Parts: sequence; C-alpha cells; structure tokens
Amino acid sequence: MKPYKKIIVFTFLVFSVNQLFANQIADTVSIVKINVLVGLQFDQVRFHVKPGQKVKLIFSNSDDMSHNLLITKPGSRLEIVNEALQLGEKGPSMDYIPKSASVLWSIPVVNPNQTQTLNFIAPQQPGVYPYVCTLPGHGFIMFGAMYVNADGNMPELKNDLNIPENRRLDNNSALNIQHNEHKVNEEKKIITAKPLHPYTPVSPYLYRVFIEGASPAALAVSLPGNLSYCWDASVCKLSFAWSGGFLDNSELWRGKGDALAKVVGTLFFRDKTEFPLSIGNHDGIQVVDYKGYSLINRYPEFHYTLNGFDVYELIMPNNNGTGLIRKFRIPGGNKIVWFNTNPTDGVSYLSSAGKWKNGKLKLLPKQAKDFSITMSRKEGGLL
Amino acid sequence: MIAKSITRFLIGILFCTGMQSLFAQDKSESYRIETIPMPDGLTSETGAVEFLPDGRLVACFTRGEVMTYEPSTKKWKLFAEGFHDPLGILVISNSELLVIQRPELTRVKDTDDDGIADLYEKVSDDFGISGNYHEFNYGPVKDKDGNLFISLNSSSGAGNIRLIVRGEINPLGRENGSNGQMFSNVPYRGWVMKLSPDGVLKPIASGFRSPNGIGFDLDGNLFATDNQGDWIGTSALHHVQEGKFYGHPGSLVWQKGWNKGNPFLLPLSVLDSMRTRGAVLFPHGIIANSPTQPLCDRTEGKFGPFSGQLLVGEMNNERIVRVMLERVGGELQGACLPFFEGNGLRKGNNRLAFGPDGSLWIGQNSHGWLGDQGIQRLAFTGKQPADILNMNLTEKGFELTFTQPLDESTATNLSNYKFSHYYYKYQSLYGSDQFDKQNVPVTQVEISNDRKKISLTLSSLKPGYVYELSLGTIKTSNGDDLANKIICYTLNKLKAGTF
Repeated sequence: MKPYKKIIVFTFLVFSVNQLFANQIADTVSIVKINVLVGLQFDQVRFHVKPGQKVKLIFSNSDDMSHNLLITKPGSRLEIVNEALQLGEKGPSMDYIPKSASVLWSIPVVNPNQTQTLNFIAPQQPGVYPYVCTLPGHGFIMFGAMYVNADGNMPELKNDLNIPENRRLDNNSALNIQHNEHKVNEEKKIITAKPLHPYTPVSPYLYRVFIEGASPAALAVSLPGNLSYCWDASVCKLSFAWSGGFLDNSELWRGKGDALAKVVGTLFFRDKTEFPLSIGNHDGIQVVDYKGYSLINRYPEFHYTLNGFDVYELIMPNNNGTGLIRKFRIPGGNKIVWFNTNPTDGVSYLSSAGKWKNGKLKLLPKQAKDFSITMSRKEGGLL
Repeated sequence: MIAKSITRFLIGILFCTGMQSLFAQDKSESYRIETIPMPDGLTSETGAVEFLPDGRLVACFTRGEVMTYEPSTKKWKLFAEGFHDPLGILVISNSELLVIQRPELTRVKDTDDDGIADLYEKVSDDFGISGNYHEFNYGPVKDKDGNLFISLNSSSGAGNIRLIVRGEINPLGRENGSNGQMFSNVPYRGWVMKLSPDGVLKPIASGFRSPNGIGFDLDGNLFATDNQGDWIGTSALHHVQEGKFYGHPGSLVWQKGWNKGNPFLLPLSVLDSMRTRGAVLFPHGIIANSPTQPLCDRTEGKFGPFSGQLLVGEMNNERIVRVMLERVGGELQGACLPFFEGNGLRKGNNRLAFGPDGSLWIGQNSHGWLGDQGIQRLAFTGKQPADILNMNLTEKGFELTFTQPLDESTATNLSNYKFSHYYYKYQSLYGSDQFDKQNVPVTQVEISNDRKKISLTLSSLKPGYVYELSLGTIKTSNGDDLANKIICYTLNKLKAGTF
C-alpha cells in the first residue's frame, strides 16, 4: 500500500511538472496559475521558469480571506515577512508590501473570489525565488518557491526545504480512519498513526457529525462488534446502519470542516418508511420533536415526542451480531402503536410483542410501553 | 494532522525569529503568560473555556471533547464527548453545563455523580442548519433575568448547502445576487437569538456575518463582535439591541414581515440607513483582523487596573485587545488598543475566561484559518502597568486617562500626539480600505494636576470616523515607557456642544 501510494504521488508530480513545461516553449510566456487552499496555503507551492523568460502569474483568491503575493530575492522571505509586520498601522494602506529592494514583484491584496495577474521577466540569475503572502501572520506558512534555472531541476518534493513543511508530505487521510474498538484492519493495513482523542474511544460511543444521507443534525454511533448506525435528530429516526467499521472523520476534522464524515464499512440497513412508528391512526401526520439522549452503560437512549407522546429508543447489537436490536419505550401511550418497515430496507424483523401484518407490527398500548425490534441483515441483502 | 504540523512549524519559526511586531512592548513585568499543559492525544483546538464553581477549568474542543482541568494538580479529566464543533459553554453547576454545538444548544449533565456526563438534553434547536461549513454557533450568555443569548454565523458563499437541511429553505439572497457572499438560506443565520426561560427561541438582532463572541458588560449591555469581510469594512464590536440590523444583508430575509425582496439588491443607501454602526471598530491590520469573545473584567482589580472594561481575543495576532466604552449622545462608543501582545502569547485567541484568582485563561484555536491551539493563562503580577486607562471624547477633542502619573515634559509635548482619522466604507466588497485618511493636528495639550489626565484639543472632529492616535515617547513620572503607543477611537457621535 505505502510504496504504491508513493508511486502515485510521484507520477502526479511528473505529470504536473510536465504540464508546466508544456506552457514554456522558449520565448513564449510561461503561464503560472496560483490559487489558495484552505489553511493558508497556495495550491502551487513551487514552479519552474527559465532565466529571462516572460512569466504571466495569475493569482486567484479562492479563499474566504484576503491575501497578497510577493516574490522576493532568494533567501529574503522571512526578512520581508517581518518587515511587513513592522508596517503596523500602515500595513493596510500599503497592501502589507514593505518598501524593500528584496521585493522583486508584488500583487497587492486580492479579496476573496478575485483574480489579479502579474507579468514579469524572470531573473537572469538562476536561483530559488520565494513567493509569499505578507498579511499579518500569513507569511510564516503561506509561501512557495519559484525555481529559476535552465534545466528545470527541482529537488524531490519531500526534500524541498523551500516549500512549507506540511506540503513536503504525502497526506494520508487513511491514517485518521476510525475502527470500532480500534482494531487494526489486517486487510487494509490501516495503522492509527496519531491518537484521535486523549483517550481510546471504546464502543459504544458517538459523534454528532455531518454525514451523507442524513440531515446536518445527525448522530453516528459506534457499537461493539463492528456495527454502527446513524440516527438523525432532525427526523428522530434510525436512518441507516453499517458493519465493518465506523467513520473516517479526517476530512471533517481538517481545516474548516467543509466536509462529511465518511462511512467505513458496508451499509446493511436504510430506513425507507415515512416514519418507523405510528401512534393511533397510522395514516395521519406524525409530528416529532427531538429531546436528547441519556447514556445507559454508554449506549445512547434517544428521547423524542411523537404526536406529543414520549418515545425512547435504545439500539444495541443483536444477539448474533448480524444486526441491531431496537428497544422502544412509550410509557404514556394509550393508543395502538404501529411499527412500519419496508421490504427493501435490507433487514428481516422479529419483535418481542405485537402482531405482524404486511410488514407492519401492531402493538397494543400496553405492549408499546416496552418492546423491542430485532433487525437482522438479510442474506445477500447488501444495500 | 495538517493543522498540527502547521502549528509545530509555526511555533518553530516563532522561536527562531522572535516574531517582532510594532506593539511588542515588554509587558511581562505587569502580566505574565503561562502555557497550560494539554493532555496527550488531544487536538486542542479550543472551542470554549469557563470555570466551574469548584475552581476547575472546563474546556471543549473541536473533536467534541469536554474536559475539566484542576489547576492545583494540573490533571485533565474527560467530562463529555461527541459534540459537533462545540464553541461555547455556560456553567450551571459542577455537574451541569450548557454547550452550544452546530446542531443545537445542549444541556449536558452528570446525573449519577460518577464525574461523567450521561444526559445530553436538547435545550433549543429552533434554528436552521444547512450543513454549510460556516454555520458556527456561539454563546450562550445569560442576563440577570435568566434569558440566554446565542449568535449564529451566516453561511459561506465559498461553501454550499446540503441536500437535506434542517429548517425552512429561503433561497432569496443567494440565487441572483449574493455573488458568493455570506448568506442565510435557513432561519436565523446571521442573527443573535434570545432564549427566554419559557423555552422560546426568538431572533432579536440581524446583520451579523461571523459573530464569534458574545458577552455582557457590567451594566448588562450585550455585545457581539463581527469579522471583517463582505459588507464588513473592518471588524467591529456591536452593542446588540433588540430589533436592530448590524450591516450584513443576508440575514434580513428572516426579518418578520420582510417584503423588500432580495436584500443584496437593495440600494446601498437603503441598507445603510437601516444599519446600526459598530460601537467600536477594530481597524484591520492595526488592532484586530479577527476578533472573538468580548469578556468584561469583573475581577475588581485582581487582573489589574482595567476593571469594567472589555477584553477581546484576536485570532490572527498574538494579541488580546482591550476596549473602553462610554455613552455619547445616548449610544455606546469608544476606543480599542492592543492590550497584551507577544511575550509568549500565541495566536488564535478564541475564548477568554477569568479564573477564581483573577487570571485570564485563553483558549486558542485555528479551525482552518490563522491561529494556534491550546490554552494559556495571563496573570497580573501586581506591578501597575503604565498604560492608557481610558480615552474619552470631549467637546473639542479627547481626554486620555493614564494608569500612572506622567512625566510632564514629555506628556505636554504636542509632537507626542499624532492623530489621523479615516473611515471604512459600507459596501458589498470584502473589507474596506481606509478612506479620507488625514492627519488631524492637535492644537493644545493640557495636563491635570495629578498628571494622570491629558486633554487634547483637535483642529476638527467628524462623526463617522476612526480617530487613530499614535503616541510618541511619553514617560511616566517613574521614567517608564508606556505599554501602548496606539489607540483607535470610533467616533460615531459628537458630544453635544462640540465646536
């Protein structure tokens, strides 16, 4: 897995370098496009041009904060960054560009969603010319390197001291994948490189997360036995369940959180009912209101109201690990309760009480005070 | 992972270069910074810091942990987990907290006295969430009548909304016309909300872009900061009052009875006439680029001579800002200065709380923007700082009050007071330049008998401008340098009888 990954990264590099070269036929203009990534980074942290070559640098600020871009003499980045800081209250009106012979070219402050172009002729003197954003604080991490030389030589990315440290690495998001009970998955050779928390989460445990297939108010719960489920607090129901892992939160936890947690494992259940419970007239409108959850031996017991009746739901692995057991309580109910299913939801059902008819379970008010539904994955019933 | 390596790298660089800055006076004699050891394995992007009645610190972190810290033993302990981007805590008791997270305001409680929370009860989720990454929620803070206040970020035009959202969708203001600016497609994004003790959550003030910080002063006035960006020329401290609009148009679609269509397409003059200006503007690149929580110094002197003033965190600089307010023409306005700078303080100063001993605890965060991680503590050493205590508007200029008597010869030298004024334009663009920037000559300087007050007469005073004062080499009567050489006064209203 690891060497393979390196090859991919290397190939990608060669490819992008070639792409740059494709724009650099002698005596023509070399076009360099630089964007901004989340977390104060240029998307291109280095590029190559030939001495004396015409360069057109197009700087697009795709970030949600303002940036500038200065190209300095070799080795002058930190000196310029500190001079920009010294501008103090004069900084804004000077676009944070210090008056210094070490600043060769500059693009003033570019606001979000704006683009500015800089045309210049590359120095005759070969060397590594830093480019940097000098807004206060940015310059220590937001920079890159323009390599000026005849033959296009650049060091290997991982050894390139002229680019930010975090960009010398191969970002392996797999390192953050979470498995129930932190088991190492032999097949995928996933090793948890760095702890995710100051403790080792022991199932059952949960996160409120952004996750595909549920509202932004979802909860994801890891159960013992490598089972997991998503319960959606907006609609007060078990939305889906999966086995074989829990979540990969690496994207969600990186930067600004503009991402979803990824399900690790295989989905075996997805709710396809309007709502799994009906109270009284089961064709009527079901109004739900989420109340919260209590932890009972670390298992969350959800509490919501359904048409004004308190409902509690606690979900555990079923006895043979092939699915879930859902323990419901409707202590104050005085009406017939229906539990609704859909034949294509991936599981087969058993109940502790009531009568099944056409995929619906009918429970008398007394039975509905405390009942359980066992859901087992159907053979070959992968979703 | 990236954040961590960036941070490490940053810290490395900071130690190498000594990160100088204009205002980096050595204040270590009056205030001392201390870094709190964080537990191994914690990604300490700090969402809130508060204190429990028993003196323990309680803090929450981006990955959902709520932990307590006993200062005497330096021991951390997990209290609760699983929150989605918790960014605020209100302490109810040693075993009960209110925590704001992305989906709701949650009551978290240890009901069986084992030290671990077991009840996570919804207090209110009566607002929309679209899944847009920028929909951070802040607060709660409590007034004397038991009302809670929270503030809700606008959604980012750089992000999207999810297919499944919570709450009604109103695309007005995003389709055709917001041009990638912050927007409010689900209820009350960009509003400050009031939760009354009967459980009703009500929108009370609109026009916020990113109100990452809400708090009261000693008189019970509510304040929220907002962050420079589209429609926000420079970051501001707003005096939040019910029914007022603070400038960013996106949130207006949720104003009761709104019938003016897409707010982004209203004439600028109409929006401008609706808006309430910031009580204090934080000039961008000078005082703060990303201000956070305003915290009132209620320590009655334990933290030094600034009791009753507001301290405000700053994300982009190694700085805590100090704000002094006064009422002029019926409205609050005032001045800000860099209170504590560098000297070991990191960036990302997101949350503030006073400990029982009167020291200021600072929770740090970057969350994909500029910042650092961890918690630091700033303690008053007892040595009186030599600093500006107050800046007040007069009919003909300003009166400065200092913490210590000044050396008369340097303090009465006119050339030691350089004023400029400028204004920030209200516009849809991201931020604003300084307009009509001009020097304002000081024509007269007077010193009080106790040599602590300086009255400055200016050649002119104009409302709607920031008055930035740069001090020259003024000494105290002990021969000390002043801690601050810059202060910015937001002049919204003139005193009656001016000129």
